[in-house]
Amino acid sequence: MRFEFTPEESAFKSQLSSFLDDALPADWHGPADESRDDHWALNEQIKKGLADRGWLVMSWPKEYGGADSSPMMNTIFAEEMAYRRAPGHDRFGTRMFGPTLMRFGTEEQRTKYLGSIAHGEIQWCQGYSEPNSGSDLASLQTRAVEEGDYFVVTGAKVWTSLAHRADMMFMLVRTDPDAPPHKGISLIMVDMKSPGVDVQPIINMAGLHSFNQVVFDEVRVPKENLVGDLNDGWRAGMTVLNFERSGIDYAAWARIALEELIEYVTKDDSLVTAAKSDPSVRIKLAELQTEVEAARLMCFDVAWRQGQGEVPSSEASMSKVTATEVYLTVLDYGLELLGMYGALEMGSNQAELQGRFMKMRLYYTSGPILAGTNEIQKNIIAQRGLGLPRK
Amino acid sequence: MDFGLTETQELIRTSAREFLADRSDPEIVRAVASGDTEAITELWKEVVDLGWPALAISEEYGGAGLTFSDLAVLLEELGASLAPTPVVESAITSWVLERFGPESIKSDLLPQIATGDILITPAIVESDASWNANSARVAATKSGSSLVITGEKRFVSFAEQATHALTLVRTDDDEPALVVIPIWKAAAVEQTPLDHVSGVPVFSLAFNEVEIPETSVIATGEDAIKATEELVAAGGVARAAQLAGLGKAVLDATVEYTANREQFGRPVGSFQAVQHHLAEMAIAAKQVNHLVHSAAWSFSQDGYSVERAAQAKIAASDKISKLCWTAHQCHGAIGFTWEHDLHLYTRRALAWKTDYGDSAFHKSKLANAMGL
Repeated sequence: MRFEFTPEESAFKSQLSSFLDDALPADWHGPADESRDDHWALNEQIKKGLADRGWLVMSWPKEYGGADSSPMMNTIFAEEMAYRRAPGHDRFGTRMFGPTLMRFGTEEQRTKYLGSIAHGEIQWCQGYSEPNSGSDLASLQTRAVEEGDYFVVTGAKVWTSLAHRADMMFMLVRTDPDAPPHKGISLIMVDMKSPGVDVQPIINMAGLHSFNQVVFDEVRVPKENLVGDLNDGWRAGMTVLNFERSGIDYAAWARIALEELIEYVTKDDSLVTAAKSDPSVRIKLAELQTEVEAARLMCFDVAWRQGQGEVPSSEASMSKVTATEVYLTVLDYGLELLGMYGALEMGSNQAELQGRFMKMRLYYTSGPILAGTNEIQKNIIAQRGLGLPRK
Repeated sequence: MDFGLTETQELIRTSAREFLADRSDPEIVRAVASGDTEAITELWKEVVDLGWPALAISEEYGGAGLTFSDLAVLLEELGASLAPTPVVESAITSWVLERFGPESIKSDLLPQIATGDILITPAIVESDASWNANSARVAATKSGSSLVITGEKRFVSFAEQATHALTLVRTDDDEPALVVIPIWKAAAVEQTPLDHVSGVPVFSLAFNEVEIPETSVIATGEDAIKATEELVAAGGVARAAQLAGLGKAVLDATVEYTANREQFGRPVGSFQAVQHHLAEMAIAAKQVNHLVHSAAWSFSQDGYSVERAAQAKIAASDKISKLCWTAHQCHGAIGFTWEHDLHLYTRRALAWKTDYGDSAFHKSKLANAMGL
């Protein structure tokens, strides 16, 4: 047992932190709104900076331009990025699709795409969910029909984050409609500029444009863009989800939000004076700090287990549930402390803390839903972790 | 960070688990709860033979020189087995003696604790039920080179078995002091048994002009406050470690029960409503486990982390009693019976919620540490 970082880990954390000091605007509090051109430019700039320093894909093997860094180091990276609410992370390319390509892609595909991800030159998005296939993903219906050297893709993907900024999409399509649901799915890469791809914005409940519906109308995709074997896409596609399901971003966001709240209620010139004199506020903040620390340790436990060569599926689900819930709990309490000010929109006159607590509270309502709802995660914990019967 | 157990810790866990499976079955727990003191004495003898009271005492004082993390691993097993034995009491008092006591007391008492010749239990709380280090009113009045102790301490565990009590008192100078008082068959110490839901013996101790030499003083003034705060923090982490083990045991038992109990032609554990209860229990048990390990580890460093110690006890107090509640829900009517063992765990969890400071007490400590 050792509950502190190694000197090497601490050194990396502070290097990354000082890089972000320079890279982020002085008054940066985030969160980044990718539909804003200035925020997207910042995203690209930071992504390049991370790539130049070898940090963007440091988790990758050396042969693909990575540093073979430990899962612990990768979690420290993710934690610091989220703690600063910094954009530029590119989790679709670096954390999800890149590793999948290394495992399932052809030599040619790896040569063609991994370098551009590593250099931060290309933006990926993920085409999994469909209007009628959410938690029950294997029921997906977007068709890819073979026609000579091409697949012809028709259907719709939804909740596609960054589709409006992406160059490429990795997507699951149905290539054998007669096979059992899991057996007729393939993983393909699609150029977002292909004729027939229509990206339709979906504005989320926070009023932000972060995800989209993407409609495919007979889009021709070269067969060389198939990743893994035909009809074996479920296996390759699920590998992605193993990289997706970690709570560290949420745990870090919860921590910074809590720190901002504490600073707010302790400083002399905050307007909400009742919070400062109410002893129950101290107690509640201490309780939240305990919850945030618990979530953080859950996430680092996942990293530690990965470093031991385990595939901590149940633990990852636990960290996702814990961290997404604690973040919303912190934000809710923040809004309670801000009282009437909590209801002001970001940028409003007289907003306190820039109105960002409400913005984040609305935006991260998605946390317990995305990347496998927390109910699905609890099924995983119960069935895979505790060994309870499915029927 | 390293979440893994060391080889020593693995060994402690395995050997403790084996011993306790054999020697702390629910029958013994029930026997002790209904007043069988013989069973406590028997078990304690064996615990001493295993060297558990010596575990965290330095080698120079006859101990095994292991860490607080190692101790926490042992305490998890003790918690899981509900073992009615005063390892926490002994470990926590020896911990404070070694860090705050004068050399003369350390070299006299610590080797005797390690061999089980003496057992020291903490006596901190009084009628106001406070764990605050500055709240003691039991009087220590100077008389020549002696101190005369008068007043009542409450909620003293295993006082019947203990030879001494590490007692928080107030001096003539209106300062707190920690003193070691012999209580074994002491005529001037009146023991009143309390009927405690934990199922282990808990007493109030009335000191009727008990005379002790001045050399029994461990610390006074600011030092006494520091020592008592560390005692309460360490005790809180120790109880939290027991609660972590208890929670895991209850989780395992509930998984086992729901996987086998059938209704509507299938195991009740196959229903999502039940699975989600169990997933939440698993999450709670894991959270407490991590916070306990983090806190226990901090005691092995230079000065423990006030924040982590508080977090461990806050989470253990709040989450493990809730976990037991959910376990009852999953067990249905059978878990509500006297005959079923589940309530033995629930009773312990409810009792330990407040021992060494309840959740509110530690939240206040944590808030102070956070600068609030």
